[in-house]
Amino acid sequence: MENTRQITTIQAAAILVSTIIGVGVLPLPLFAVRAGDAGAPLVTFLGMLVGFIGLMLISLLGMRFPKQSFVQYSEAIIGKWLAAIGTLLLIAFFAILTSLAAREFGEVVVTSVLKNTPLEVTVIVMLLLAAVSTRNNLVTFSYIHLFYFPFLLGPALLIVALSLKNADVINLQPVWGNDQTHMLPGILTIAALFQGSFVMTIVIPGMCDPKKSMKASFIAMLIAGGMYVAIVIAAVGVFGSEEIKNLLWPTLELAKATSLPANILERLDAAFLAVWVTAVFTTLFSSYYLTIRFISNLFRLKDHNMFSFFLLPFVFIMAVIPQNILQMYEIIADVGRIGLFITVGYPAFLFIISLIRGKRGDRDGTQQTNPAS
Amino acid sequence: MGHSKLIRLVKLFLVILLTVPLLSGCWDRLEIEERAVVLGISIDEAGEISNEEKDSQIIQKPPATSMVRVTVQIALPGRIPLGPGESGGSSGAGTQETLWVLDSVGHSVDDALMNLQQQLSSRLFFGHLRVIIVSERVARKGLENINDYFHRNSEVRRMAWLMISKGSAKALMKAAPKLERVPTLYLMATLDEGIRMGKFPSNYIGNFWSNSVKLGEEGYLPYVAIRKEQNIRVSGLAYFKGNKMVGTTSENQIGAFMGIKGMNPAGYRIFVDLGGPMKNVMMTTTHRDKKIDVRIVNGRPRFTIHISLEIGVEEKMSEEVAISNASILKQIEEDEKSKAIKIYQQLIEMTQEDGSDIFGFGEMVRAKKPGYWNTRVRTKERWQEMYKEAEFDFSVQMNVRRVGMKAK
Amino acid sequence: MRNGSGKSKSRVVTKASSPVLDAALDIPLTGTVEDTISTVLSILKEDGDFIVRRFHLFGQYNAVLFFYSTTADLATVNNHILKPLMHLPAHLEGRINELQQLRDIVFDDVLYHCGVKQENKLSELIACILRGDTAMVIDGVEESFSISTSNVEKRAIDQPATEQVIRGPREGFIELLEKNIALIRYRLPTPELRIHSMEIGRRSRSKVSVCYMDGVTNAELVNEVKRRLSQIDIDAVLDSGYLEQFIEDNHMTPFPQVQYTERPDKVVANLLEGRVAILVNGSPLALIVPTVFSQFYQTVEDYTERFLLMSAIRLARLVALVFSLVFPALYVSIISFNPELIPTEFAVAVAGGRAGVPFPAVVEVLIIEISMEVLREATIRLPQQVGGALSIVGVLVVGQAAVAAGFASPITVVIIALTTIGSFATPAYNAALALRLLRFPLIIIAGIFGLYGVVIGLILIVNHLLSLKSFGVPYLSPLVPGGFRGMKDLIIRSPLGLMKERPASLHTQDKVRVDADTSAEEQPKNVLDPSEFDPAKEGQ
Repeated sequence: MENTRQITTIQAAAILVSTIIGVGVLPLPLFAVRAGDAGAPLVTFLGMLVGFIGLMLISLLGMRFPKQSFVQYSEAIIGKWLAAIGTLLLIAFFAILTSLAAREFGEVVVTSVLKNTPLEVTVIVMLLLAAVSTRNNLVTFSYIHLFYFPFLLGPALLIVALSLKNADVINLQPVWGNDQTHMLPGILTIAALFQGSFVMTIVIPGMCDPKKSMKASFIAMLIAGGMYVAIVIAAVGVFGSEEIKNLLWPTLELAKATSLPANILERLDAAFLAVWVTAVFTTLFSSYYLTIRFISNLFRLKDHNMFSFFLLPFVFIMAVIPQNILQMYEIIADVGRIGLFITVGYPAFLFIISLIRGKRGDRDGTQQTNPAS
Repeated sequence: MGHSKLIRLVKLFLVILLTVPLLSGCWDRLEIEERAVVLGISIDEAGEISNEEKDSQIIQKPPATSMVRVTVQIALPGRIPLGPGESGGSSGAGTQETLWVLDSVGHSVDDALMNLQQQLSSRLFFGHLRVIIVSERVARKGLENINDYFHRNSEVRRMAWLMISKGSAKALMKAAPKLERVPTLYLMATLDEGIRMGKFPSNYIGNFWSNSVKLGEEGYLPYVAIRKEQNIRVSGLAYFKGNKMVGTTSENQIGAFMGIKGMNPAGYRIFVDLGGPMKNVMMTTTHRDKKIDVRIVNGRPRFTIHISLEIGVEEKMSEEVAISNASILKQIEEDEKSKAIKIYQQLIEMTQEDGSDIFGFGEMVRAKKPGYWNTRVRTKERWQEMYKEAEFDFSVQMNVRRVGMKAK
Repeated sequence: MRNGSGKSKSRVVTKASSPVLDAALDIPLTGTVEDTISTVLSILKEDGDFIVRRFHLFGQYNAVLFFYSTTADLATVNNHILKPLMHLPAHLEGRINELQQLRDIVFDDVLYHCGVKQENKLSELIACILRGDTAMVIDGVEESFSISTSNVEKRAIDQPATEQVIRGPREGFIELLEKNIALIRYRLPTPELRIHSMEIGRRSRSKVSVCYMDGVTNAELVNEVKRRLSQIDIDAVLDSGYLEQFIEDNHMTPFPQVQYTERPDKVVANLLEGRVAILVNGSPLALIVPTVFSQFYQTVEDYTERFLLMSAIRLARLVALVFSLVFPALYVSIISFNPELIPTEFAVAVAGGRAGVPFPAVVEVLIIEISMEVLREATIRLPQQVGGALSIVGVLVVGQAAVAAGFASPITVVIIALTTIGSFATPAYNAALALRLLRFPLIIIAGIFGLYGVVIGLILIVNHLLSLKSFGVPYLSPLVPGGFRGMKDLIIRSPLGLMKERPASLHTQDKVRVDADTSAEEQPKNVLDPSEFDPAKEGQ
């Protein structure tokens, strides 16, 4: 066997960032503005903090059990059957998350660029792309994320930078917004956009130095969260909060309002959407990979490849269940909030139990629990 | 080895199986020459509806709005020469044939466009829509439907120009200025260059949408008229209250508006009177700076507007004035200052009467005095009322910097 | 199928050998001339150029020479073999008492030729004849002598035709392995240079040399290269390209995982980086493993010319590389799907250019692309005298006529021409070919999904590249996995003094290339600086 512990801190951070940043960026300013008007950047920032707490818990758990996968140490902490239920919930949740992300992006593409192409085609293409790519090992998984990392940051930062010259500071004041009543659910909605960070659970066992996973999480949250906040600032600064409420995908509209200097490209929306395919791909790829990894961990299978196409029809069917775009967004909001219990609550629960029961996997765990490859 | 190869083969087969159906459809492929590239749209009141047009109305229960006449300007592929030199000097003369102007009526913009589409072989394509002209009469009734249609359509760009025409908007679509091969592009260039020369604020359709929905701000649009040389003149700003146009400003007031907004570059000129019939000096503004403070006095917002302008001497009428020492510049500054304040006040009073806060003073209140806003204002309608009672102080600073190449 | 006979016998060099020889493999030589002649003739038959030359050694012993008149150097045979052997020099007279002594005297005192070996197996005797050497059998002596007389006509060492440089050495490899090794050796006069020889090919018995730097190259890499080479079982190795297809990691990919070059200086540079070079007799192209993608757009010249200029040129080459892959696909998707992206004036003009073309942009681009490929292939195949004329006719006349006939729009022709030229800017022909091939699926998917499809296609390609490995080295390293040290030579070419280490992905034994101290702070002296120059010294 080759050495599987190859993932460096930078790679881990890249995996996290490109997993977090995905199709959720497109409606992000809308969610934030609905919650906090001019205080949207603040809402985003708070949402990021909530997301970071979840990620921190996962990193702490991973550092306690650096040699085991999440499924293994959850079994060690709360027992086999309870852990199996938790894992099944996680599998189901990430399968749904994958399908909803594919569906959401399909909707964006069909609404704005490929108007006559059947939605099913765009969804299945994205899912196939993710499924084909999951037939790789963890090292290639990290390579793929590392490679696409600049392609996520580049276009987003470009659009933010180009649009900031049209921004008006007045639109961003007062920084805490005029109306704080909807803030809390808004924070949770935005925190739900950070759920992809759960992928850290499968990254940690492959890291060269699991001790650095906290550093990786911190860097990743800084980059991803910083980009979210920057995009919200740019969108609110350019459009003003009231106009954003009129827009389904303010980030896309931002790209539409931006033109490259010297009119090389007159509007960037189609180009941005095209580049954004990579961002959506990495998100789908991560959540799909996570699902498949968890299944193979749960059933103690060596090879996860067989599931990648087996699961595809189920994910696809879930993706086409929502009847229209508004219903889809309601489902996404609901699933996101429920998901917070799974992706933040469950690790928190595990962490507390492991503290109480004094279970550790980093010192003496090798003898007690048989670490798998 | 053999096992994994088999799997790979099966995988390949599956991929082929899945891609073959994809090959059958190029759902969205629409060649550029098959698209009717709409460069400009004008929207008028329907006016007289011909019998032919009546035939095309097929809706059983029409909405209770008045009919609109939509005119589109379509670029004819093949008529506009490729490259600069290819077909010689016929670029100016050939304008009539490069575009096709079509019109149709309908109950809404979309309805009219649908009627129009029925007359056309190729699909209307709005990706290059640069100019939307709405006649003043339609604008005074409200732009709700127009805003909604163009907002919803993903092809329309936010950098298109929306303007209000004095009189018929269709006439502008038919106007054929001599300078550009494509008239609409000339219209667009008029405004784009206006921005660069400091004659007009950068106010694309996207900015208008943003401004008009803001709680403490109203939208404004260029107000254009056609001149006899078939060219277009920006004759002021049309300002709105919500979706309805409520008034227009004069041309010079655009400069005042830009001064209060502190927009750069600055390009307006003004005559300064130095106390004599021929003692006029023409001054040009080169740079503007503004700062607005808001205070709440007696439960009403009071704004102090600090404006600082940099101006330069451009011409004088006669040799009666000698611009040779600093004190005369001081005089010029004083005179221009008083004139400027008068124009600013006039403009603000005018908009106050109509309750149309195109300057975004309300946004200032919302941003800087959130406590006051949350308790006393909250909605757009309240602010429209309160704006009428707002008070303004001016403190204008003029700085003559340069006098040109002449020593006196 | 073929290894049926090879498996049973154990051989030192390789499993492959020519099947006729197998029967004669273990037969020892008898020592009698007549027997040997009949056995050899039974194997080699009576070919026109096969010469069996009997003579009397020192005028008294029966002896025979076997050689092919076509491959052996007859002058050597005459002057250095037959002549000394026929006359016993005076000082040796009387020293021959028995036959065994005869052997030693011939070997030690008479044959003044350095390439003499003694064989005692029939198979080796035959092999020596087949190589072009001369075999000699003396009556009563069990061992035969093989004297190297092989002389194959070779072309002169010339400029490498496919890898021309403006600044840099002008030598290229030729077909003869010995000369090629000489070209490498004189550039690397160091005891660390190892050249491991083996024979591959059952019938061709091609000499293959594996070159590497002892103490630099990772030892396991060398073993793996040797292992993969030794497993090759093939009839003939006619070019190094045959070997490439056997030792590469993934056969189902368009991307080459082995680099080839005909420049000895390039081979040496790669050896010094810690790579392994494989040379084959009969091929002027050396293989270099492991290979990563970035090597395909680097040239020797990058390192001989100033780094700022070459960094800029390398960037241009990269742009050309990417363009040759995506440009037509982007064109199709913008024209057919997203014309709103290009400036309005241009869009209207493009629509005008396309107005008369009957096909959709995809078909148009595909047709022109395919005809361009045909044209390119035709230009390569044609004799040089005609080639130039044809390419002018093809490109100028056909292109112009196609536009005039309304068959293609002028802009399409411009796009395709740019793309084709761009693909020639890539130094490595095989990598350029891979990208050119992938252009076609991209165009098709662009015709279905537009820009969205182009990106999907690119993601598939990139994911494939990311999963590729050449001898375990990730194909896109040093970009992925990120090694900041390696990136100094990725997109730009850093000054040589800054690239202190060999590529980390090769896990070399000796990691340091430029010692930190040698390039360090010793300030150059401005000896001729006018302010410091001492005129008093001038007279001296």
